[in-house]
Amino acid sequence: MPSKQAYIAANRFGYGADTKTMTMMQELPKQWLSDQLTSHRVNAELEFSSQRWGSHQVLESVAAYTANKLVAKVGTKKELSKKTNQIIIQSIRSAIKSDNPFLWRVLDFFSNHFSVTGNKLVTRALAPALEIEAIGPHLSGRFSDMLMAIEAHPAMLYYLDNVNSIGPNSSQARRSKKNRGLNENLAREILELHTLGLNAGYQQRDVTELAKAITGWSVGRKKEPTGFIFRDRAHEPGRRQIMTHTYAEGGLKQGQDILFDLANHPATARHISTKLVTHFISDSPPQAVVDTMVKKWLETQGHIPEVINVMVQHPLSWSNTLAKFKTPRDLVISACRACGLKTLRPNFIRSLTILGQKPFGAGSPAGYKDIGEYWMGPSAMMSRIEWVNHISKLAKETPQVIAERALGPFLRAETSVQIKRAESKRQGLTLLLMSPEFQQR
Amino acid sequence: MSLARRDFIKEAMAGWVLLSSPVAALSETPKTNKKIVWVMLRGAMDSLHAVLPMADPDFMVHRGALVNPIKHQLLPLQDGFALHPALKNCHRWYQHQQCMPIVAVASGYRARSHFEAQDQMESGLDNTQHDNGWLARAVSQTHGQGLAIAQTVPIALRGPQLASTWFPSHFISSDDDLLDRLALLYQGDETFSQLLQSAVNTRDSLSMSDKGKSNTQFPLLAQRCGELVANNPAVNCAMLELGGWDTHNNASGRLNRQFELLDKGLAALEIALGKTWQQTVVIVTTEFGRTVAINGTKGTDHGTGSAMFLLGGAVQGQQVSGQWPSLAPGKLYQNRDLMPTSDVRSWIGGVLQQHWSLSLNQVKQVFPDVAPVMQAIIKT
Repeated sequence: MPSKQAYIAANRFGYGADTKTMTMMQELPKQWLSDQLTSHRVNAELEFSSQRWGSHQVLESVAAYTANKLVAKVGTKKELSKKTNQIIIQSIRSAIKSDNPFLWRVLDFFSNHFSVTGNKLVTRALAPALEIEAIGPHLSGRFSDMLMAIEAHPAMLYYLDNVNSIGPNSSQARRSKKNRGLNENLAREILELHTLGLNAGYQQRDVTELAKAITGWSVGRKKEPTGFIFRDRAHEPGRRQIMTHTYAEGGLKQGQDILFDLANHPATARHISTKLVTHFISDSPPQAVVDTMVKKWLETQGHIPEVINVMVQHPLSWSNTLAKFKTPRDLVISACRACGLKTLRPNFIRSLTILGQKPFGAGSPAGYKDIGEYWMGPSAMMSRIEWVNHISKLAKETPQVIAERALGPFLRAETSVQIKRAESKRQGLTLLLMSPEFQQR
Repeated sequence: MSLARRDFIKEAMAGWVLLSSPVAALSETPKTNKKIVWVMLRGAMDSLHAVLPMADPDFMVHRGALVNPIKHQLLPLQDGFALHPALKNCHRWYQHQQCMPIVAVASGYRARSHFEAQDQMESGLDNTQHDNGWLARAVSQTHGQGLAIAQTVPIALRGPQLASTWFPSHFISSDDDLLDRLALLYQGDETFSQLLQSAVNTRDSLSMSDKGKSNTQFPLLAQRCGELVANNPAVNCAMLELGGWDTHNNASGRLNRQFELLDKGLAALEIALGKTWQQTVVIVTTEFGRTVAINGTKGTDHGTGSAMFLLGGAVQGQQVSGQWPSLAPGKLYQNRDLMPTSDVRSWIGGVLQQHWSLSLNQVKQVFPDVAPVMQAIIKT
């Protein structure tokens, strides 16, 4: 029988134990985790999306739709939503059956860190592409590269209004008769949410300076090339000062240099390390773990697998206490993994919406909150019970078999007794999936 | 069924955990039957497009492009102010002395992060505490019960006692047998026992809840909120929220739709409250205002001074309150925003004092950082 530590690895860092996972892990749970964040595995996991439906295709379809809106090409819009939903569902399905569940958890973490809400047709359709194109490829590399890919991705540029931000002294502003100008939205969130974090010592003037530095970071339209473009004519000329550093004029490179420094700033290292530990280990993240991660971040210029490995290796990450209340997403994926479910009705997107965590629907660039209290409202709890009871009828195996396989030594005697006494298979499974040891990790 | 069920749960739980507050609160009658509904507009509502200072000579200089399309449909208020044409019901209440717009307000927060500003507004403290909300502190002074129309408890209602939450349900509701078995399963786990208990209590006390199609549109949520508040003597305050106000671009059309949605929802709330509307104060606030100038993308950016509304039968309406600071050059906050001249919390404090009859000392427990306004804002 696999060790307790193996079950912790599977549940706390993955989406739960199944026979294949436990066989692969053998007695090397830490090794199993650290092996997952390689470019080879990331490519293999994200292969389903390949080049069939990336941001280029999305942008071309949106452009075609917008151009033909007047002749009521309803089909195009429907087709767009359908494809978007397919990609979202496909990635959830991949996470459920994946041999690299930790990789998916880390991907999900960064997707929420760089949260994009699909509040418009274009952002909704582009949001999954952000995950696949800007986050995935950099999970095995440095945070600075991920950051640069994110801030130059059409999803983010549209979502936080940078596409039309124009330097007040740019040649475009001088030639234009319309009142066009700077939009600070993306710059503010880069500092507050994506990198340094609140109260890290930056001021309003730093926000404005960064906004000016990334003027011209935009997305091509009509006759321009599809995807990210740098519009020199919209770029604010001149040097920029962010906090104590001055950045020489240099077009696109000016913004990139700033992002590189922000990615390697100690405040960024602390902000993101704290969020990682909060996500994986505890709502009150142990400072000792965070500190060692910050140290590694600064040593390795934010090499994501190395920083995360520090957390994985730390003894405080392996407490037998289940300190994290699962988010709806964790719950849905781990419940389907435990029960061997590949599809759901209502489908994954609908189920997550009902449970309060619609994919790409946080409604705020801060993403969904990552602490138990946020998910523990009385009505949310009742929704959980109702949802679990609803899907419990879909499983084929007996609850006792599922319970032992999913929880191993963490299955409490009380739960086992209640499952055996249940009036039906379905009720037994509901009790298992609602048990404290399944609801927490 | 619900009463018997609650009794059972009480007995079943009494043996092993202290009764958590929802049960205790529901069995107690609050000291006041007067209601407060707080509507939080998330994303920074553009107050200059809601309550338009048409008499300010600098207003059209900054905002002409946004205001011109609606200039001839504006709904007049006193002192040269006007409401956006989509706020029809607000204007009807204004004419019936049930609506008071308050201009140039702000919380104690002076930076421009939505999330920090919203958290501080919900907490009501200069130094935000994420588990200590102003509405929770206020309701505890009245021994009443707070209700959030949300999936999860918002900061404003977090405190020593658990608030109820309600959101449309989507599945067949769980049978009592399953709930009883879960109660047994959770025996010995205090967190899960309390979670279950409050989930069951909330469901039972709201058993009239909708069986129809789920709809999370604001007017429906407002209607349900009104029904729940009107039908539950223990519930004397509720919180509703409406997002979508962060109009960095194309503000004109987006705000038309937003104001319409808000106004419809408030009207649905009035109808659902029925007679209770006469004893209700609806407080509408947002985390901060928006820049006076229009930005390069036909919208506005994060600002400071904003506006709020007091609505309802209990409000001493038909007046625009708050001191107008002027939009003249040199009068703007940091050269870009409407200068705030009073604190949102001083007005809410006034509501607590005049409507809920809290003592000055009790109001101080709710808002230690500001004093309540002296002006009469509630009908006597």
